[in-house]
Amino acid sequence: MRKYVTLFIALLSLASVAYAADSQIWGEMRIQNILGYGQEESWKLGPLFTMLQHKYFAWIFLGVLIGVPAAFFIHYKIIGPKVFPHSEKKYYAFNLYNRIIHQVAAVSFLVIIPTGFIIIFGDFFGGGTFVRMAKNLHGIFTIPFTIVVIPMALMWLKEALFNMDDIKWFMILGGYLSKEKKPILAGKFNAGQKMWYWVAILGGITMILSGAFMYFLDFKMEMLHNLTGMSQIDMLRAAAIIHNVMGFAVLALFITHVYMSMFAIKGAVHSIITGYVEEEEIKILHSTWYKKLKDQGKF
Amino acid sequence: MEKTTERALSTTVGRRSFLKMAAVAGAFGATSAFASEKVTRAATEEEVKNPFPGSKKVKTICTSCSVGCGVIAEVQNGVWVRQEVAQDHPISLGGHCCKGADMIDMVRSEVRLKYPMVKENGQWKRLSWDDALNRIATKMAELKKKDGPDSVQFLGSAKMSNEQAYYFRKNSLGDIQKSKSIIIFGANPAVNHPVGFQHFLKAKERNNSQLIVIDPRFTKTAAKADIFAQIRPGTDIPFMYGMLNIIFKNGWEDKEYINDRVFGMDKIRDEAAKWTPELVADVTGVPAEKLIQITTLYAKNRPGTLIWAMGLTQHSIGTSNTRMAPILQLALGNMGRAGGGTNILRGHDNVQGATDMGCLADSLPGYYGLAAGSWKYFAKQWGVEYDYIASQFKDPSWMEKNGFTLARWWAGVAGVKSDDKIENAGTTLKALVVMGNGITSVAQQAKIKEGLDNLEMIVLADPFVNEAAILTDKKDNVFILPAATQFETSGLVVATNRSAQWRYKVVEPLYESKPDQEIMFELAKRLGFYEQYTKAMLMQETRDGKLEMIPEKKAFQWPEDATNEIARIIKTIGLTGWTAERVKKHTDNWHMFDEVTGAGMGPMKGEFYGLPWPCWTKTHGGSPNLYDTSIPVSQGGMGFRNNFGLEKDGVNLLAEKGSFPKGSKIETGYPEITKENIEKVLGITLTEEEKAACGANWKVDNSGILVQKCMEAGVCPYGNAKARAIVWNFPDHIPMHREPLHSPRTDLAQKYPAYPDKPNHFRVMTKYISVQSAADYAKDFPINMVTGRLVTMNGAGIENRASKYIAALTPEMFCDIHPDLALKHGIRNGGMMWVHSPEGTKIKVKAKYSHSVLTGNFPAGTKPYASGESVNTVTNYGYDIITQIPETKGGLCRIEKA
Amino acid sequence: MDYARMKFYCDESRCIECDGCSIACAEAHELPVGISRRKVVTINEGIPGREMSTSIACMHCTDAPCEQVCPVDCFYIREDGIVLHDKDKCIGCGYCLYACPFGAPQFPRDGAFGAKGAMDKCTMCAGGPLETNSEKERHLYGQNRIAEGKVPVCAAMCSTKALLVGDSESVSNVYRARVMARGGKGSNSPYGWDKAYKNQ
Repeated sequence: MRKYVTLFIALLSLASVAYAADSQIWGEMRIQNILGYGQEESWKLGPLFTMLQHKYFAWIFLGVLIGVPAAFFIHYKIIGPKVFPHSEKKYYAFNLYNRIIHQVAAVSFLVIIPTGFIIIFGDFFGGGTFVRMAKNLHGIFTIPFTIVVIPMALMWLKEALFNMDDIKWFMILGGYLSKEKKPILAGKFNAGQKMWYWVAILGGITMILSGAFMYFLDFKMEMLHNLTGMSQIDMLRAAAIIHNVMGFAVLALFITHVYMSMFAIKGAVHSIITGYVEEEEIKILHSTWYKKLKDQGKF
Repeated sequence: MEKTTERALSTTVGRRSFLKMAAVAGAFGATSAFASEKVTRAATEEEVKNPFPGSKKVKTICTSCSVGCGVIAEVQNGVWVRQEVAQDHPISLGGHCCKGADMIDMVRSEVRLKYPMVKENGQWKRLSWDDALNRIATKMAELKKKDGPDSVQFLGSAKMSNEQAYYFRKNSLGDIQKSKSIIIFGANPAVNHPVGFQHFLKAKERNNSQLIVIDPRFTKTAAKADIFAQIRPGTDIPFMYGMLNIIFKNGWEDKEYINDRVFGMDKIRDEAAKWTPELVADVTGVPAEKLIQITTLYAKNRPGTLIWAMGLTQHSIGTSNTRMAPILQLALGNMGRAGGGTNILRGHDNVQGATDMGCLADSLPGYYGLAAGSWKYFAKQWGVEYDYIASQFKDPSWMEKNGFTLARWWAGVAGVKSDDKIENAGTTLKALVVMGNGITSVAQQAKIKEGLDNLEMIVLADPFVNEAAILTDKKDNVFILPAATQFETSGLVVATNRSAQWRYKVVEPLYESKPDQEIMFELAKRLGFYEQYTKAMLMQETRDGKLEMIPEKKAFQWPEDATNEIARIIKTIGLTGWTAERVKKHTDNWHMFDEVTGAGMGPMKGEFYGLPWPCWTKTHGGSPNLYDTSIPVSQGGMGFRNNFGLEKDGVNLLAEKGSFPKGSKIETGYPEITKENIEKVLGITLTEEEKAACGANWKVDNSGILVQKCMEAGVCPYGNAKARAIVWNFPDHIPMHREPLHSPRTDLAQKYPAYPDKPNHFRVMTKYISVQSAADYAKDFPINMVTGRLVTMNGAGIENRASKYIAALTPEMFCDIHPDLALKHGIRNGGMMWVHSPEGTKIKVKAKYSHSVLTGNFPAGTKPYASGESVNTVTNYGYDIITQIPETKGGLCRIEKA
Repeated sequence: MDYARMKFYCDESRCIECDGCSIACAEAHELPVGISRRKVVTINEGIPGREMSTSIACMHCTDAPCEQVCPVDCFYIREDGIVLHDKDKCIGCGYCLYACPFGAPQFPRDGAFGAKGAMDKCTMCAGGPLETNSEKERHLYGQNRIAEGKVPVCAAMCSTKALLVGDSESVSNVYRARVMARGGKGSNSPYGWDKAYKNQ
């Protein structure tokens, strides 16, 4: 009896309703969502999220936002930047593909991170249209990052694997605490860069997923429910907690990354724009890589 | 709106005092405890600002069901802008279920039918009212000439107000609060009559009343019950006999009551003796211990009231079921007692009114029947010649025959495959005119479609598109007319407790819609009998028992004059007191009536809310409880009706000495009052003028003298007789158990077979035993299926599906199924499943896991929803032997994964 | 500060899942389809003795968690305890929903790419921060019945008077009287009461 479906006028108004009835949050599932709140045997994500968001998240973000740059400011004043001559030979380290991928991610981050801040301190900005726009940009600029995150992960995966050099690097903190220009053991990427790589890739993916959860809110994924044993609302709460906590790490390392490229190593930022890295810079900061390149006769 | 209403509103429901009103309602009655002095601080000027300046409030009555909840409509510039809370309505106390809360959408809905349309060559076309009416009238006249008047079938509806239905028994709800125990058979008031159910819940709190529910499903009502028994569908009679067996064995029956007021209880006692708890357990599936427990509880907590609804009536033995229930009450002496009685919960808002008014196939209005004498009485009352009416029929003999019923009209259509022989004045049905009837709500939908497809003309008048218009494949001559909603006209409606309320018009009809009566009048004009049709509204009774045209009255006023016409004519059930003026006054003064007793206070003292019939005279206050002898007739007391003679087989049918309504001049039983016997029975003498003025008996007495004399003597005009436990003119003299036509227990079907087939039953051959014995249905269709109603839907659901909010609650068809049974068939929760019926039809619906049904015995909680297929496609053959109500509550089916 | 706290209270012994409250609410405030500020749920359906229905909406909690987590601080709590929010401020982030024990905040999908609009929830029929009974207030928040001196529509239209609303003391008195009359049957406090009000 297809006729019911095609002819009955009332049906027209129903199409939009379907999701409400099937809703994972406000439909049938609402009962489970509610019953689970604060139960002894549960993870008590509801109260946990409330407590964290109410008391801690914003302060921690503010701490990171002020603390990390402050530390670098002191570093800059006391130890100062590393300066390498820009007249020497250069090595073509990043091809166009590398640079485009990086730039796309960079632009995304440059939008996502400040807008994230605007959301966190939404009350400071007075809410409303401005913050709503920030929220939307926060979401929209996730799309380009989502597109490049996998290519980026693949193109630098080999160089980003940790090895023995990294232990030594960590022991002297990459030599950044001394003014001496002494060669430091590191491949194409030093341990700090590798750390940023993993945080940006794994953390980025985590941010994308947890962000998508919160953005789409009312979706249905039976597999996920079965896997986690969590109700929809608890998954959202978990996503919100993860998104914030991972946000601290991403933010801290993003600031570091910017400081290093813009201030700590004078002119380092040009290498990701032009693709060329100073020979001197490679020699001192990436001595293992330098040795390898030399063996290959690149210099 | 009346001035008085406005004043009443401004004084009692004034904005500031509204809060306090709720507070003083007391702990139990407290409607909303919006109550603290601290909260009800003085409002700031800004807050008092009225959101709808200049609006007025109109009191009216909800159209959803028979409870008759009050609705206050806020109207601004002719637009219904807001539905307000009818806080002081004596039945609903402001409450609504989801349907009632959405009444405003009946009018405002965007999917209303806006103008007349006709289907031509399969395409819907808009046309003008004039065009539509002319074409319909021409076709009707043509068919009448060619095929005779019986070729057109009219189906009215319980949605109309009384006046509209006319031109086409129980206690009050508050009384339930006085019950010590409540037993419910096949009814689910929590879902079907939510607002009425509050009185059940209050009974539990007030009296610690015991709530017993007997149902095949664990319903929402059962969830609130003290005891619940899950019964196999169609076995209510054995269950009640089982109860009687225990009652008689223990001597719990009310012996004095039975002796004085009941005829034929001995036969019942004999039959009950056969139904031992063990046998009952086998037949009904309810364990013997549970039966004993329930019976004990019910017998020990008197007065007990018995509730039933469609779960008892929609069976091939529905009539026996509904006779059995009062018998149980009679044995316990619960009939005619405050807090006792039987309460039949009716479906639509005006089912009671429409049945009273003769939207039935077997009676003229007021249950006068179809005999020539009744036609003559009506002819006189309508001011037309009997011969004129008779000439409208094929021949006078057809006037006295029953018509087709809603359940089976399709069998009379030529071309419908059915071996059920029809008798319809030598013609088949050619045209169908439906006003506000969801004709898809009855069983065997495939047959209905076949019937519709083979008609020459279909006329459907509804505020929303009638499903029948969509169901049929007919390409031409299908008319859909936009009828106004009940809020765009006014009239009297009768609630489930026989009380009348005035439904005020809220707004003028929207779009091009017209009220039902206007459509009928327009058709009557075109068919040339408008004058005869409406003449009676211009007439009045005179003191000397004659009828005259009201002097100087040229035009009638709808609906007041029709209301008064009804009050004037319908005496059988005592509607004499129901004048438009009195009923309006009750509706205007909701706040003056008690929620429990319905008794009026202040200016309304001495009257019961809505003047529940019988309301014998224009000053009588109505009768809240039927058959109650503990109060005088003037206050609503009465014995049982004398309708079947004075004695049967040498046994006195009148009440025994000492049983009479309080304050009566006659302290024993007496027959119904006629001109002949009044002097003897009442011991009075009538003057010659009085004798000349009064009619043959109280039912046809225009002068009102007979009833008046009875009132003076404290005597009930219809007599004081015994209730009949034996009905000698029915196929079963006492109710007997008969298995459903499609029984899952083939062994029991042989032991308790169905009726013999009955020819010419409402003009159609109706089969019983031949269907039951035709096959071993249980082998292929092992699962029991019952239909039910959801709180979000009523009737065929046309109105409710057109409401966007309500539709959102249950957008799809579903079938309740026990997880164990479902998993056996590989059906997942929310997955689709097929339901097959022995009739060869099937539907595909969504499965909903539910523990409320039994494994292997699952009922389908289905009604047509916003989308999907109608369960009535798979309901089985089977109709009641007396009333022809379809058997939707006991069928079989087979299921599989879809 | 001696205004009483306004609270909702749903008597489970009376609630029969008729959905009168939720439809009354939707109709009164002319909500978009798909938003139900009030919802009736049934727990343990079909299990004798354990089935229970109750009507859930914003409970207007003491120390409302939604108010605590809102990044733009769009919530405000009236002196009588009614928890309201400013839709013009709200950015639709969803945090209030995560914090809410009752799943009350809802988000219409009206933006592009399924973006969520401003949150909507029960206002206890008290409108919002805009001018009382103005066209705009009605459009965004629905009726302001409290300002008119009327009872919130859900409780007023409850078919069995299961749903109560009012200051906490009167409401608990009514409830306690009912429990006593039923012979102590039924729980001592209805569902969610302690979560919302910490037994106050």
